[in-house]
Amino acid sequence: MAKRPREPRESDPQGPDLSRRSFLVSAGSAAAGSVLAGGLAGAATAAEAQESTDGRLAGLVNVRLKINGEQRTVAVEPRTTLLSTLRHRLDPALTGTKEVCDRGNCGACTVLVDGRPVYSCLQLACTLEGSEITTVEGLGSPDDMSDVQQAFCDKDASMCGFCTPGFVVATTACLAKHAAPDDATIRHELSGNLCRCGTYPHIFEAAASAASKSGGRGR
Amino acid sequence: MSPTPKWKPRGEMTLLNTGYARLDGPDKVTGRAVYSHDVRLPRQVYARLVLHSYPRAELTSLDLEPARRIPGVVLVEAQKAAGDELVYLGDDSIVAYVAAETPEAAKDAARAVRAAFRDHYPPMVTREQSLSPGAPSITGRGNTSGARDRGDEAAVDSALEGAAVVVEQVYELPIQHHVCLETHGHVVDYDGESATCYASTQAVSGSVDEFARNLGLPADKVRVLTPVMGGGFGAKFGIGLEGAICCLIAKKLLRPVHLMLDRPQEFQMAGNRSGTWVRMRGGIDAQGRLVGQFAEVDRLGGTGGGAFPLMPYIYACETNAARTRSVHTALDSNRAMRAPGHPQASFAQESFLDELAYAAGLDPVEVRKVNVESDVYRRHLDVVADAIGWDAHPNRTAPGEAGADGWAEGIGFGLATWRAGGRPGCEVEVRITPDGAVTSSCAVQDLGTGSRTLVAAIIAEELGLPLSAVTARIGDSDLPPSVGSGGSVTTGALAPALKVAAHRAREALEQRLVPVLGAEVGDYEWVRGRVRVAGEGDMTMSFGEVCALLGNQPLSVRGEYDGSLDADGSLHGAQAARVRVDTLTGRVEVLDMVATHDQGIPLNRLALTSQINGGMIQALSYGLLEERVLDAEMGWLLSDNLESYKIAGPKEMPRLRVILDEDDGRNLATGMAEAPVIPGHSAIANAIFNACGARLRSLPFTPDRVLAALAERA
Repeated sequence: MAKRPREPRESDPQGPDLSRRSFLVSAGSAAAGSVLAGGLAGAATAAEAQESTDGRLAGLVNVRLKINGEQRTVAVEPRTTLLSTLRHRLDPALTGTKEVCDRGNCGACTVLVDGRPVYSCLQLACTLEGSEITTVEGLGSPDDMSDVQQAFCDKDASMCGFCTPGFVVATTACLAKHAAPDDATIRHELSGNLCRCGTYPHIFEAAASAASKSGGRGR
Repeated sequence: MSPTPKWKPRGEMTLLNTGYARLDGPDKVTGRAVYSHDVRLPRQVYARLVLHSYPRAELTSLDLEPARRIPGVVLVEAQKAAGDELVYLGDDSIVAYVAAETPEAAKDAARAVRAAFRDHYPPMVTREQSLSPGAPSITGRGNTSGARDRGDEAAVDSALEGAAVVVEQVYELPIQHHVCLETHGHVVDYDGESATCYASTQAVSGSVDEFARNLGLPADKVRVLTPVMGGGFGAKFGIGLEGAICCLIAKKLLRPVHLMLDRPQEFQMAGNRSGTWVRMRGGIDAQGRLVGQFAEVDRLGGTGGGAFPLMPYIYACETNAARTRSVHTALDSNRAMRAPGHPQASFAQESFLDELAYAAGLDPVEVRKVNVESDVYRRHLDVVADAIGWDAHPNRTAPGEAGADGWAEGIGFGLATWRAGGRPGCEVEVRITPDGAVTSSCAVQDLGTGSRTLVAAIIAEELGLPLSAVTARIGDSDLPPSVGSGGSVTTGALAPALKVAAHRAREALEQRLVPVLGAEVGDYEWVRGRVRVAGEGDMTMSFGEVCALLGNQPLSVRGEYDGSLDADGSLHGAQAARVRVDTLTGRVEVLDMVATHDQGIPLNRLALTSQINGGMIQALSYGLLEERVLDAEMGWLLSDNLESYKIAGPKEMPRLRVILDEDDGRNLATGMAEAPVIPGHSAIANAIFNACGARLRSLPFTPDRVLAALAERA
């Protein structure tokens, strides 16, 4: 065992605070402001971002987003992620998009932003002014499922189901990009997503089956 | 009426024994399924725990006022007071909790809690620290417990004098995490008189009392709802300290409280599979038969006892002995995790037996066959050996060599065992209305195994209806009670109750048919939504017409567990893996895995295949990637999210094949949750050795360990 002095050590309850928010705060209000300026430039005129007395950014920003085809204006804090916006700032909430790691590791929060798959936990909502967001709810409903969603049901590609929305969105994006993806392409395109129950083989089958059915239309 | 129904022969089943889609699939694939995480109630607050990140410490001061000043914060309370000791890293690390109008405000408040600690050195997070002379006692009761000696070690040693080959080696397994994608937590909606608890739990019926106790309510004023849940794997039985705190906040605020752990907290306090240190000594004779085996086992379950089954594991060896104990570290207790203790024992036993076989120049499959008692294992070994291509494999009695490109390919094996069947505790209600609507209800939870679908399928099979004609109601403690889902018991406990209820419902309907069609109860056939007198030509009445005979009175029957309908005794299984090893970099690629398990009646071939795939994949992940890492100096949990605690993803997937055991003669129900997770990593380790002679004696099989093992061979 390595030597270490046995002196008492004082520490913070959560250790060094290395969150995105603390970075913005500790980088100073000027830097934080400049990060957010890009997002605010196109934001609603009612933008209320301001500095409170302790130097933190406070207040709400209005952001216009087209979510599942519907134009919405959402009041968010500058640090609110797209994931949190969907799950907490809408009424009714869109909870199909799941929060699992909140750190861009697992893909459970994957949504389409202007047709591109992104981790919604890594996107600040206020930087997405005017964007078109498609969540798993926007791809189909239980009575009117997309080809991908139907294939996931038919192939038993969902067990506990918590990773499923992210995989459905990622598969949809994969098929939009590749008309007839081979197995290696499917695995590559889905490699940003994790499942714990072990549904991968059935997910690959579902993706291939949906591809053959929709001829690469991605729906 | 016949008191004890029997399952139809498999060949006569029209729904069971086929593969069919889950009832909750459409909700899950469209994001409509509402998990505990997704519950949004009017006036709901978001609660959050505040955890210290060092295992052993004294809380020297705690200031909650800065947190209380954050806008949107509605409650900040201390869980520990200045002067309190934090004994281990886990739920004992909770120093305070907060509740706020938004998750962001709750995060701010948690960060604003000011706490100071005096951390005690050393952190006591490794086996070596706990066993070192003069080590402080973690819980005040000593750092080892549960010591037990079985058998006579000296007798083993004298038996080994006659052995052809003797091996002594140490095998080590790290702590593994469940990694339920839905973290632990609940939403508690308490109005002062009653409560609805949206719990992410493996035990809907079993959670009622615990919520009631923490809320100070009688059990009949508490309703637990778990329509879906995002994975448990053994970690979600009790409501946990997070559940108790959620109840406290709900009582204080009289508002719905949403308290879910975040991912780092999940890794810190929501359970794990115990680590293990095993020393094995033993030998085989010239025919490969084990003549003696001694095992020394340290279970590393943190402040818990850890889990490990009896040795020898699966294989028979008359002269054996074992010395087992728990070695405690300042970490949260292990919890049940798919086949507690078995994957650990499998790795030690299967690696050890494999080492003996190769040391004697024998075929490891043949050595396994010689040492098992049940013919089922010999049959299963033949099945997977054939599927993986063992007979055509060039190196069956000695490891291979890498080709010119540095890659080597090998095959390995492992066996599995678990207890078959269920136990009493499930009740089912089947309700049929005069308009033909059929509902089957049980409080049972569906962890992703398919139990919701089974609740409808067994009724549909009995009444000759399509699956879609039966509505399943589950995940609600107001429904007839269910066992918790642990130890593979759910299917074995639930299916008999469903079968009994279905049988009673059918007989009750047939009673109505007696005056109409003339045959006695039991002499009807129910097929494709119609009924006829058995053996007579045309289907006479539709199911709807039969139900209309009920008049204006719905039919309601109950069924309960019947032990003649589920399997007892043991489950068996064998798995094989084919791997490729890059001997230049140490990288292991699993190419192919094959599993066969005796599953009784395949109640849903599709869900059963998913379950066995899942077992193989979790074992692959355990073998190649997973390891809880603590900084032995600083005591910090370094693997606290999915970039530092890796689990297998799409790119790690081999070809996976499940060969259902069509020769298992038991026409009975059993679950298949534990057995498939047991041997996969052992088979992979043995395949790595078979490929290139690198013997991996600790998990995970990372490139550095492979290279070290290769160096040891050279």
